[in-house]
Amino acid sequence: MLNHSFMTWLGFFFAFAVGLTQPMLGSSKSPADEHVKLKLISEQNAVVPGKELWLGIRFDLQEGWHTYWTNPGDSGEAPRIEWQLPSGFEAGAIQWPYPERLATPPFADYGYEHQVLLIVPVRPPAELKDGQTQKIAALVRYLICKDVCIPGQKQLELSLPVQTHAAASDGRGLFDAARSRLPRAAPRNWRISAASMADEFLLNLKIGKLNKTPQFFPFNAEQIENGASQETSAIPGGIRLHLKKSKHLLKPVARLKGVVVVGPGRAYLVDVPVSQAPGRATRN
Amino acid sequence: MNRNLWCGLIITLFLFSSAYAVKVGEPAPDFQATDSNGQVRKLSDGRGKFVVLEWHNNGCPYTQKHYESGNMQRLQKEWTGKGVVWFTVISSAQGQQGYVTAQQENDYLKQMKASPTAALLDPQGEVGRLYSAKTTPHMFVINPAGVLIYDGAIDDKATTEQADIAGAKNYVSQALEEAAAGKPVSMPTSRPYGCSVKYAR
Repeated sequence: MLNHSFMTWLGFFFAFAVGLTQPMLGSSKSPADEHVKLKLISEQNAVVPGKELWLGIRFDLQEGWHTYWTNPGDSGEAPRIEWQLPSGFEAGAIQWPYPERLATPPFADYGYEHQVLLIVPVRPPAELKDGQTQKIAALVRYLICKDVCIPGQKQLELSLPVQTHAAASDGRGLFDAARSRLPRAAPRNWRISAASMADEFLLNLKIGKLNKTPQFFPFNAEQIENGASQETSAIPGGIRLHLKKSKHLLKPVARLKGVVVVGPGRAYLVDVPVSQAPGRATRN
Repeated sequence: MNRNLWCGLIITLFLFSSAYAVKVGEPAPDFQATDSNGQVRKLSDGRGKFVVLEWHNNGCPYTQKHYESGNMQRLQKEWTGKGVVWFTVISSAQGQQGYVTAQQENDYLKQMKASPTAALLDPQGEVGRLYSAKTTPHMFVINPAGVLIYDGAIDDKATTEQADIAGAKNYVSQALEEAAAGKPVSMPTSRPYGCSVKYAR
C-alpha cells in the first residue's frame, strides 16, 4: 500500500469533519434550506370561480444538488405535495417535466438539477365571493442529494383574491418553461413498438431521422437497469433502443410506459404493449 | 493510528465468482469480509441458516429512520433470536458518508443497541458491487440452501419519516416468515429505497 500516512491523515480528517458537522446539522432547523429554496407560485394573479388555475412548486437548487423525478431511479425519492386548500378546491396530479439522467456508474437516478417547477392544476369551486382572499397552502416533502442526501419539508403559502377575471402573474414565464419540458403525446405518424428479449427490451422508434440519440425514462422503477447505457441500432424508418432488463424483474412486463426524449424540449409519452419476440428464448 | 491498524481495516475479500449476477431464485454468491471485531466472515459460514444482508450508512436519513426509531434493532434482535445470521454491510468508501473504522462501528453498535451477527467493513465496495447494492438500506435474504430469496427495500414506505414505520409492510420479515413456513416468498423483489451507496469513485 502506498501512502499510508496520507490515508491515515485523510481518515482522521474525515472522522473529525463528520464529528464537527453532525451536531451542527442536528441543531439547525432545516438543513436542506441551505441548499434549496422552495416557493409556491401561481400562474395567475387571481382565482376565477370554477376556472382551472395552475399552481407550481419551484425548487431552486444550489449547484451540485438535485431532487427527483416521479421515478427517482436507483436511489432517492420523488417530492410529495400535501395540499391544504380552501373548501371546494381540488388539486390534480403533479405534471412532471422530463428529468435528467444523473449517473453514478453502475447506477443512475432521474431528477432535476438547478431549477424545476412542478406544476399542478387546481379547480376552484364555481361559487366563490368576488373580492374574497383565498389562502392556499402546501406541505412539500422532498429529498435533495449531492454526495449526501438531506430530506426536507416546507410549509408554503400563497394568498390570491377572487376575481371574475385574472391576469398573468409574474411567474407566468416559469409555467411556460415548465410546460415546454412536459412529455407530449407522440405524433400520429410515429410508430413505436416494444419487444421482450432474453435480457433486454427493444424499443423500436419509427419516428424518422433524429439529430440526437433518444433516451428512454421509464415510469416504472423496476423494469430496466437504470445505470445501463441505452445502446441504439438503426432500423428502417428510425432507431431502436436496447434497454437492459432489471434483475428485479421476475414476471413478464405487459407494457413499457415512460418518456422518450429525442432532443431538448422534445419529450414524448410512450405506452406500448411488449411483444414476446417469436423464435427467441425469452426469460421474462 | 498506526499503519497496521489501517491495514487491518482493509477488507480482505475473495470473490469466488466475480462475474456473477445476483438474482432472486439463484445461488447467492459467496464473499469473505472482515467484521468490526476483526473476524473474517464468509457468507457460506451461514449455510444451513437464513442470512440477512443489510446495507448501512449511519449518515443516511433513510438508515437513520430505521435506527433512530429502533426498527432495525428490533428486526435484528427478533431474527437473530430465531437463528438468522444478520450481516450489516458498510460499503461507504473512505472519505465518503457512512465510512467507519472498526472502532467507530463498534461504538455505534453499542450506542444504538444494535445487534447484528456482525458488521462487515467493505470500504472497497467489493461485497456491495458483487450484490449490486444500490441504497442504504438495501436488504437481501438468503435461504439455508444459499439461494437468494429476497432483494429489495426494507418495507413498502419509501420515506425518511419514522411515523411511516408503524403502518409499513416489512418485506424482510415477510420473506423470512414465508420461507420459514415453507411457502414461496410472495414479494421476492422490490425497489430498494434510500440514499445511494457511497462507493469509492
